Amino acid sequence: MPYLGSEDVVKELKKALCNPHIQADRLRYRNVIQRVIRHMTQGLDMSGVFMEMVKASATVDIVQKKLVYLYMCTYAPLKPDLALLAINTLCKDCSDPNPMVRGLALRSMCSLRMPGVQEYIQQPILNGLRDKASYVRRVAVLGCAKMHNLHGDAEVDGALVNELYSLLRDQDPIVVVNCLRSLEEILKQEGGVVINKPIAHHLLNRMSKLDQWGQAEVLNFLLRYQPRSEEELFDILNLLDSFLKSSSPGVVMGATKLFLILAKKFPHVQTDVLVRVKGPLLAACSSESRELCFVALCHVRQILHSLPGHFSSHYKKFFCSYSEPHYIKLQKVEVLCELVNDENVQQVLEELRGYCTDVSADFSQAAIFAIGGIARTYTDQCVQILTELLGLRQEHITTVVVQTFRDLVWLCPQCTEAVCQALPGCEENIQDSEGKQALIWLLGVHGERIPNAPYVLEDFVDNVKSETFPAVKMELLTALLRLFLSRPAECQDMLGRLLHYCIEEEKDMAVRDRGLFYYRLLLVGIDEVRRILCSPKSDPSLGLLEDPAERPVNSWASDFNTLVPVYGKARWATISKYQGAKRHGPELSNTTSFATSGSLIPEENKERIQELPDSGSLMLIPNLQLTAEYFEKTWLSLKVAHQHVLPWQGTVHPDTLQMALQVVNIQTIAMSRAGAQPWKAYLSAQDDTGCLFLTELLVEPENSEIQISVKQTEARMETLNSFISVLETVIGTIGDIKS
Amino acid sequence: MIGGLFIYNHKGEVLISRVYRDDIGRNAVDAFRVNVIHARQQVRSPVTNIARTSFFHVKRSNIWLAAVTKQNVNAAMVFEFLYKMCDVMAAYFGKISEENIKNNFVLIYELLDEILDFGYPQNSETGALKTFITQQGIKSQTKEEQSQITSQVTGQIGWRREGIKYRRNELFLDVLESVNLLMSPQAPGQVLSAHVSGRVVMKSYLSGMPECKFGMNDKIVIEKQGKGTADETSKSGKQSIAIDDCTFHQCVRLSKFDSERSISFIPPDGEFELMRYRTTKDIILPFRVIPLVREVGRTKLEVKVVIKSNFKPSLLAQKIEVRIPTPLNTSGVQVICMKGKAKYKASENAIVWKIKRMAGMKESQISAEIELLPTNDKKKWARPPISMNFEVPFAPSGLKVRYLKVFEPKLNYSDHDVIKWVRYIGRSGIYETRC
Repeated sequence: MPYLGSEDVVKELKKALCNPHIQADRLRYRNVIQRVIRHMTQGLDMSGVFMEMVKASATVDIVQKKLVYLYMCTYAPLKPDLALLAINTLCKDCSDPNPMVRGLALRSMCSLRMPGVQEYIQQPILNGLRDKASYVRRVAVLGCAKMHNLHGDAEVDGALVNELYSLLRDQDPIVVVNCLRSLEEILKQEGGVVINKPIAHHLLNRMSKLDQWGQAEVLNFLLRYQPRSEEELFDILNLLDSFLKSSSPGVVMGATKLFLILAKKFPHVQTDVLVRVKGPLLAACSSESRELCFVALCHVRQILHSLPGHFSSHYKKFFCSYSEPHYIKLQKVEVLCELVNDENVQQVLEELRGYCTDVSADFSQAAIFAIGGIARTYTDQCVQILTELLGLRQEHITTVVVQTFRDLVWLCPQCTEAVCQALPGCEENIQDSEGKQALIWLLGVHGERIPNAPYVLEDFVDNVKSETFPAVKMELLTALLRLFLSRPAECQDMLGRLLHYCIEEEKDMAVRDRGLFYYRLLLVGIDEVRRILCSPKSDPSLGLLEDPAERPVNSWASDFNTLVPVYGKARWATISKYQGAKRHGPELSNTTSFATSGSLIPEENKERIQELPDSGSLMLIPNLQLTAEYFEKTWLSLKVAHQHVLPWQGTVHPDTLQMALQVVNIQTIAMSRAGAQPWKAYLSAQDDTGCLFLTELLVEPENSEIQISVKQTEARMETLNSFISVLETVIGTIGDIKS
Repeated sequence: MIGGLFIYNHKGEVLISRVYRDDIGRNAVDAFRVNVIHARQQVRSPVTNIARTSFFHVKRSNIWLAAVTKQNVNAAMVFEFLYKMCDVMAAYFGKISEENIKNNFVLIYELLDEILDFGYPQNSETGALKTFITQQGIKSQTKEEQSQITSQVTGQIGWRREGIKYRRNELFLDVLESVNLLMSPQAPGQVLSAHVSGRVVMKSYLSGMPECKFGMNDKIVIEKQGKGTADETSKSGKQSIAIDDCTFHQCVRLSKFDSERSISFIPPDGEFELMRYRTTKDIILPFRVIPLVREVGRTKLEVKVVIKSNFKPSLLAQKIEVRIPTPLNTSGVQVICMKGKAKYKASENAIVWKIKRMAGMKESQISAEIELLPTNDKKKWARPPISMNFEVPFAPSGLKVRYLKVFEPKLNYSDHDVIKWVRYIGRSGIYETRC
């Protein structure tokens, strides 16, 4: 922390601290100490006056003591030898008649983060645990955790743990909660504090005596208690009922989570709980505390994933106010998009349309995307609104509308006609890369229905030299070639010009390569071009794949009231990935639920998909390259590690299946044609340790079953099981769509 | 658990920094400043993740408070804690401003030391905290005070200490409401959404351990009591209100509320928030705003706004302010208003019309002519809503305090000896009419 002029300041303060006149005058002395702390706060290195500060700790002035202890806790790791000098004063204070002084000294002593301090603090902590003032006991209990933290991986002191367990029966509520916290940290390696029946019941009885922080904490600890019988379970739920109506939103959310988890086998109880917290959640959503409001909205969205109709009648609560902060508006728009139903769709769309012309471009774009989302169910109305928006001729609106159209045409082919009619004229108002790409793609794929498509593309071709985005050029090449297939006469000339430019003048390698590729493809013959470029124009089934119908409450109950709904599941997975699995052991052990979300990720998170499946124990590497020969050789040399049968109906659509498997990093080596009987597919995948998974899928004729056989190069049960669950999820999803 | 707590001024200078856990380094302080305070765009979320560390921030005037953690914590709890921290600080030194924080930085460090230990929230009740905080510094404690600390920290009731004595037993009840409205522009003025969020704040100066009982015109209670006398129900039925949901201070016995709907409690000493509630039905909207905007050609706008007060003529609304947004390309404004003062504020792009006082059932009008500069900007003016601020001396939800009874069996004062004050204040929350 170098800071300009800090040396002079240190020198001056040192002088002042040593000055006997100042030392004699309490107020002046304290003032100097305050200045030291102030500089420390600003980031100056004040460790130079450590010696003088230690001396200042020997005083009866409590304020001065507090300041000095604060200073020492900050710099003790830098000056461990000098800090030992202060231990003596601290030890003496630990037996002061005033409980406040005792507590302060003990707390500070435990907070000195330096090696060798353990031997000094052990005894005071033990004394503190038996102190008659609960203020000291609170400090001592947390002191145990601090001491353990200093030790690092030292073994756990059994006697101390027992003492802490017995202190769970302490009179003072804060001591009880601190005991839980402390035990949790000390026993982290063994999976944390054990909540057995007597402890659970004791805590439940003390709940009403705790303050809000304690209540929230205890509710969290109770999550790991499993009632023996149904009767006990419902007794607990009855006892905790009032906390669903607590004045603290944190306690309400904690109680909700506990209810959801305890009642995981009783879906009707879960639904009932969610109905009951509707009021408190709505209140939080319209509260004046914006940050809380934000958190509540995140959780509302989470609930809506499972119960889409849950808040539908309250849709007006989620209308945005002009003066609300940006982040709340964006959340509200998302919520509106999710709670829409037959009754409110008219009003919601009306409201969203208003937002589209908001001054903030960000917000208006979010509103347009939301309309796009609703359009998947209420296509006609939405397309009409979007078309009207094009009439505003605003750049930031047009580009987003066109992007929305692109996605919509792919998922809801019935709207193609309307979109094609709306497109002419848009090109004047699009400047950014994303919007241009979307427009060009639409013109290429559906060009035969748009009369002026070739002329719009011609404009782009003419200006290609000044085009800055390579992605636009690539899109342009593909689109023009596609349009050439359906309207050759109008496109031939400019296609030639574009190819010439891309091959001869373009600097970007990717664009040049694509140009060359298309050129050679054309040389092979027009049929070949058609075979490669004419992919399906839309695929509504993908919409179902991306937009899972209903997720069970249990799939997110364990994430409720954590940071996961705030960040979004995908983002949290990347954040927590690096933090090591051990801290989150109990939360992430459920690999299956994570793998499930891997294949059902909503559209906006597509780019993060690669990172998702590895949050569990299984990590499949993307882009595995395996030749068919190698596959065959390996397949024949291995034994079947696992074989079982899943229900299956109808025929298989190879493309859909292949695409879905690709998403979870399972590659397809070979596959029968659609409708072939028997139908077979060979798949391969490799995890990060190098273990290969080879799979055969087999559908026998007239048999409503699919047989899965998996072979593995290294025999490991747990990765095999996670692999199979991933596979099952994908096949299950595809199967559902077909049936 | 909270790893550290930082307070910054608007420039991003650190005013207070307290680290509780090893995993939070000094660089966390800078990370937040660079990524959030100095960020160009507006704040994207009150929770920011930088290098796998979560920063929860709250802004009070131009002060930033940030709590930092690396754990997967309960977001709601952390924010509640930050609000609590603000409340506690405000209780000690009033408004949270840069100057106040600088002047009280010793006190704040003291508070941070008591409220959080090892990142876990400890005692946070202002009243209880006062025993531990040496606000004026050195104070040799008497025996009595020392025993107080012990009784305070072992006592069954965490929010009130024993042995409180007042010569005059007095209590103040404030019903503070903020009324929120969003109204559509159509001619009859359709209410898109309206709700009142209210708080009952009590300031008690009562001796001993008084048992209090609070009654209001809650629909459910009145219907329950009215069973016997049907006559009374029909009379008071109109005036009772439906509360959508309400929450209480920790001291209220919730079991009794659930079974009998009666609110009984032993109050903390001094000021506290007894109850928080929300209503959405039968709200008395104190003001109606009727806007009329006419575009005269491309360079002129005519705006006429009528406000109507909608409450008893004997009551007076105060601090009325109507804010009429103007387009960005406004070049000049002429305003005529019947009452109060109106001014065009170019920097805020709005006409601000202020009226000091206005009685109920009155009407006032402002008309303005806005000259526009011709622009080639095709962007249409978005017409932000007209917003209003005011204060009225009644509760827009219709809530009435029916009684507050005080019983103290051990000391010799009765309910009649207690001096009680009740005050209703209704303020505007977000009160907008689209035009």
